[in-house]
Amino acid sequence: MNQLLLEYLPILIFLGLAIGLSAVMVTASFIVGPNNPDVEKNSSYECGFEPFDDARMKFDVRFYLVAILFIIFDLEVAFLFPWAISLGDIGVFGFWSMVVFLGILTVGFVYEWRKGALEWE
Amino acid sequence: MFTATIFLPLIGAIIAGFVGSRLGNRFAQLVTVLPMLASAILACVILYTVGFEGQGETVHLFTWIDVGTLEISWALRFDTLTAVMVFVVTVVSAMVHVYSIGYMSHDPHIPRFMAYLSLFTFFMLALVTADNFVQMFFGWEGVGLCSYLLIGFWFEKPTANAAAIKAFVVNRVGDFGFLLGILGVFFAFGSLDFDTVFAAVPGVADQSFNFLGADVHMLTTVCLLLFIGAMGKSAQIGLHTWLPDAMEGPTPVSALIHAATMVTAGVFMVVRLSPMFEFAPVALTVIVFVGGTTAFFAATIGLTQWDIKRVIAYSTCSQLGYMFFAVGVGAYPAAIFHLMTHAFFKALLFLGSGSVIHGMHDEQDMRRMGGLFPKMKVTGTLMWIGSLALAGVPVLAGFWSKDIILESAFAAHTGMGLYAFWAGIAAALMTAFYSWRLLFLTFHGKTRADNHTFEGVHESPPIMIAPLLVLALGAIFSGYLAKEFFVGDGMEAFWGTSILMLHNVIEDAHHAPKWVAQLPTVMAAIGIAGAWLMYMLRPSWPGKLAALIRPVYQFVFSKWYFDELYDMMFIRPSFYLGRGLWKSGDGAVIDGVGPDGIAAATRDIAGRAGRMQSGYLYHYAFAMLIGIVLFASWFLFGFFQ
Amino acid sequence: MNLAADISIAWPEIFVAVTAMLLLIFGVFQGNQSARLISWLTVGVMFIAAVLVLSSHSGRTVAFNDLFVVDAFANFAKVLLLLGAALTLILAMPFNAREGIPQFEFPVLVLFAVLGMMMMVSANDLISLYLGIELQSLSLYVLAAIRRDALRSAEAGLKYFVLGALSSGILLYGMSLVYGFAGSTGFDNLAAVFAAGDHDGAPIGVIVGLVFIIAGLAFKVSAVPFHMWTPDVYEGAPTPITAFFAVAPKIAAMALFVRVMLEPFGDLFEQWQQVIWFISLASMTLGAFAAINQTNIKRLMAYSSIGHMGFVLVGLAAGNETGAQGVLLYLTVYLFMNVGTFACILAMRRQGRMVEDIDQLAGLSRTSPKMALALAIFMFSMAGIPPLAGFFGKYYVFLAAIQAELYTLAVVGLLASVVSAFYYLRIVKLMYFDEPLDAFDQPVGKEISTIVIGTSAVTALFILVLWPVLGSAAIAAATLFAV
Repeated sequence: MNQLLLEYLPILIFLGLAIGLSAVMVTASFIVGPNNPDVEKNSSYECGFEPFDDARMKFDVRFYLVAILFIIFDLEVAFLFPWAISLGDIGVFGFWSMVVFLGILTVGFVYEWRKGALEWE
Repeated sequence: MFTATIFLPLIGAIIAGFVGSRLGNRFAQLVTVLPMLASAILACVILYTVGFEGQGETVHLFTWIDVGTLEISWALRFDTLTAVMVFVVTVVSAMVHVYSIGYMSHDPHIPRFMAYLSLFTFFMLALVTADNFVQMFFGWEGVGLCSYLLIGFWFEKPTANAAAIKAFVVNRVGDFGFLLGILGVFFAFGSLDFDTVFAAVPGVADQSFNFLGADVHMLTTVCLLLFIGAMGKSAQIGLHTWLPDAMEGPTPVSALIHAATMVTAGVFMVVRLSPMFEFAPVALTVIVFVGGTTAFFAATIGLTQWDIKRVIAYSTCSQLGYMFFAVGVGAYPAAIFHLMTHAFFKALLFLGSGSVIHGMHDEQDMRRMGGLFPKMKVTGTLMWIGSLALAGVPVLAGFWSKDIILESAFAAHTGMGLYAFWAGIAAALMTAFYSWRLLFLTFHGKTRADNHTFEGVHESPPIMIAPLLVLALGAIFSGYLAKEFFVGDGMEAFWGTSILMLHNVIEDAHHAPKWVAQLPTVMAAIGIAGAWLMYMLRPSWPGKLAALIRPVYQFVFSKWYFDELYDMMFIRPSFYLGRGLWKSGDGAVIDGVGPDGIAAATRDIAGRAGRMQSGYLYHYAFAMLIGIVLFASWFLFGFFQ
Repeated sequence: MNLAADISIAWPEIFVAVTAMLLLIFGVFQGNQSARLISWLTVGVMFIAAVLVLSSHSGRTVAFNDLFVVDAFANFAKVLLLLGAALTLILAMPFNAREGIPQFEFPVLVLFAVLGMMMMVSANDLISLYLGIELQSLSLYVLAAIRRDALRSAEAGLKYFVLGALSSGILLYGMSLVYGFAGSTGFDNLAAVFAAGDHDGAPIGVIVGLVFIIAGLAFKVSAVPFHMWTPDVYEGAPTPITAFFAVAPKIAAMALFVRVMLEPFGDLFEQWQQVIWFISLASMTLGAFAAINQTNIKRLMAYSSIGHMGFVLVGLAAGNETGAQGVLLYLTVYLFMNVGTFACILAMRRQGRMVEDIDQLAGLSRTSPKMALALAIFMFSMAGIPPLAGFFGKYYVFLAAIQAELYTLAVVGLLASVVSAFYYLRIVKLMYFDEPLDAFDQPVGKEISTIVIGTSAVTALFILVLWPVLGSAAIAAATLFAV
């Protein structure tokens, strides 16, 4: 087995463990848990969408608002990972750049909080 | 002094024209007549200093055009020729101005009339004092304009308007020739200055140029083109048709413009350009032919007309013919001599007939006149004097000038000269005949006017008679007094360098046979006698004679069918063409494709552009993508080339 | 790398950014009743920013790893767009108070848009260019749709957003192609690469990328065939927003367009000139023709601005220094004419309601002669009649076209300006020769009348300030060719 493929061995192990673990959990709940289905339990959950229906329907715009606000902070976190890893290389300038960025984000956060965008009602 | 003479009339015209109507008729008359009189007096002084003391000069006023090699300045050229012309123009004009005060006294537009008269005088003076072709053309067009304005002065009369337009259009034909001639001069000499051109003439006398494959003698061509201009202005046969119709204008206008001054501009121009024409013998021959023919032809028509002014108009036409053939045989001084004497007696005749018309309350038809002499003794006498001068009765002005012209034509010893001589003799006979026909029909015999009109006939007021007297003096004495200087022994000293004669034909004329000198006088006597016979003794004869030679009479009475011929050849086709071009050319094509079409197309495109804006988002996005694809293709296409 | 130096170079932008965020926080705590105060504060910020721009030294300096450039060209454009934004914001205040746009976000969004524009004209890298454009565009999308309860406003915002996103995508795709084939996103590097490249032409990928970039930028200046959004958005958006759209973003985008074409892609002049030539010609022609049938004055102004952008692009197509100078002069003139005209449009109110129909101007010369006179001055100026301002704008771009031997473009331009005179003069005719309708509401308000008087004076007497403006435009234009 050549060197290149050997480097991927941990991933293979990780994959195997994940599949095994999740299979055990699903099987266990299937065996152990009670199973009394009714109409209410089989209907769509939380977001209000019928899973298998015409997509053109009215729904509350607040779902989108929450989703968009989530995405902003999600991306912020995604942005923080490479920054955190390369912090040693980019030095003080890099650090303060991110602080400015976070500051701007905070301004936005304050704005949306004050506007009441985070409250459901 | 020179400048003042020229510009005084202009000042009068400007004042009368712009503020005259506000300050009243009397003011307009004063402000034009007084400068005009002053100008006439100055002109007499100028004639004396320039003509007799030889103090001619050129007054440079300012540079007008300076483009490339073409430099044209505004200058007043005063030599003897100019001095004579200025003298004639200002004196006759001054008399006409004074006369107009009386003649136009009932007209509602006096300031306008006086302004036009003065403006005309200014342009005429600009013409005769010109130092170069362009300035001459300026005056030339200016007098044409004023002539148009004055013929159509009574603008409410449709016939006057038609006559004005006719005069303008016919003159345009001549002016086109003149303009081409000027361009030809510039082409040939590279200059439009008289002195420069004249100096260069002998050098190019033999040159020719290539026109459509044929070699054409350059100087002859240029001179003929210029002569076409002269023909138009001086109403020579072919381009004469406007002059009789121009009698629609007020009579003072006829006297000033269509007898004494403007119509002689053509003669003046040829004389002024004598240094050119002398080197173009072919052109001179043509001039002799045209002049002789006109003299004869116009006289025949004059025999038959009934309108008192038209008779005189055809007479003018005929006399201009005399002047032209005099020019053609090289007797330039004789032409100018006749020009001057003619100006006096013809203006006298016109103003006299105006006096008759005034007295008859605007009646112009001689068939409704007769027997007026007892009521208008002064006018009648003056008309007699004018007619005697015109007919060339000895001692009076016309005698001297007409004789020298006919002798010169004879003495030229060319075929064409003889033709002109005999045409002139015939015309002299007819001139005497129609002049006395006019006098007898108007003043003598039993009246044919109705009672009411006849009762009302009155002598004209002194303000109209006074100018007639001055002109009569000219008609009587000018010939005798001036002959020595104009065509006699003092000729060369008098004219100086203003006229070039390669061969002194006048000198030959003095040695012509006796019968040549006496023949015109005899002819005049025969003509007068004939008129007396036909219109006093046997009034029924003219009608019988007309019936006897009916076709000939009809032909002559209809003015040789020139108007009909032109109507058929030019006017109708041009109307037809004009209408066709207007309807299908201008209307359908130019308007259709041009303004209307463009406007319609604009709206159409606007509509399309508007419809492109559909409002659908995907259309917009599609348009953007199409645009990108097209640009990318274009780029790549260009890239791979 | 000297951080302090970088910051000092970008000081106006940083100032605007910081104050914009402060105003946002201030507004969100104070609520909508502070909108008027924030508006005036925003105007003040713009004024200070303009002063900062003017006081920066005029030589060309770059900052932040060559992402950002300050030169005379950028400064000229920044002053123009700050002036335009400030004037339109002043115009908007009474309108907003009256027509129910109470949001304090309005001025803040304008300020953010202005920040984006300042970034655009100072961009020295494809990335910073894109950031500037997006900051501007996102603010403008929101502004177009700021009247959420009005159907047309929402429609305008949505259309603008979708098409804007499409154009941004196109732009981004073009940039990536250029980066892929030229190996850099920095303007200076790109210019060096193309200058060093063989003369058979750039790689095909760069060419395609350039086409995409041109398309994206042409959308921003609303040049044909990327203009379709303009009439709908102009008509749908609230009038002060339309005035803002018509002025500041156009100036910024055009300045950016000129810089991108002449600096990094200057050596590909032969390639892009043809496309700019076509865009310019098509814009002038369509702007002239399509406006004729319009009945809504805001739609008419949309086509008018498409046509004007076509004329400005003539200067770019010429590709020479006179051309760039002509572009700046034209933009200056355009600023005053458009602000003035929109101020007049904002004064078109009858019984408390805005009217936008051109026919409503009938007989204005008798009901309010001063406004009619001002509007006539603007219309004559837009038609390019000397000695008004518009004439000089056109004169200098056509002069550049003649110098560059683009005779067709010059002739078509002149013809287009003749056609466009049709609808400009129709307005004059309506005002002066038609039977008057009821008078518009009086008084029109201090803000509007002051701006109308000021801009019409500048438009009418532009010849007095022509030489100074022309001089600074010449200096600004020269910096583009000095690199």
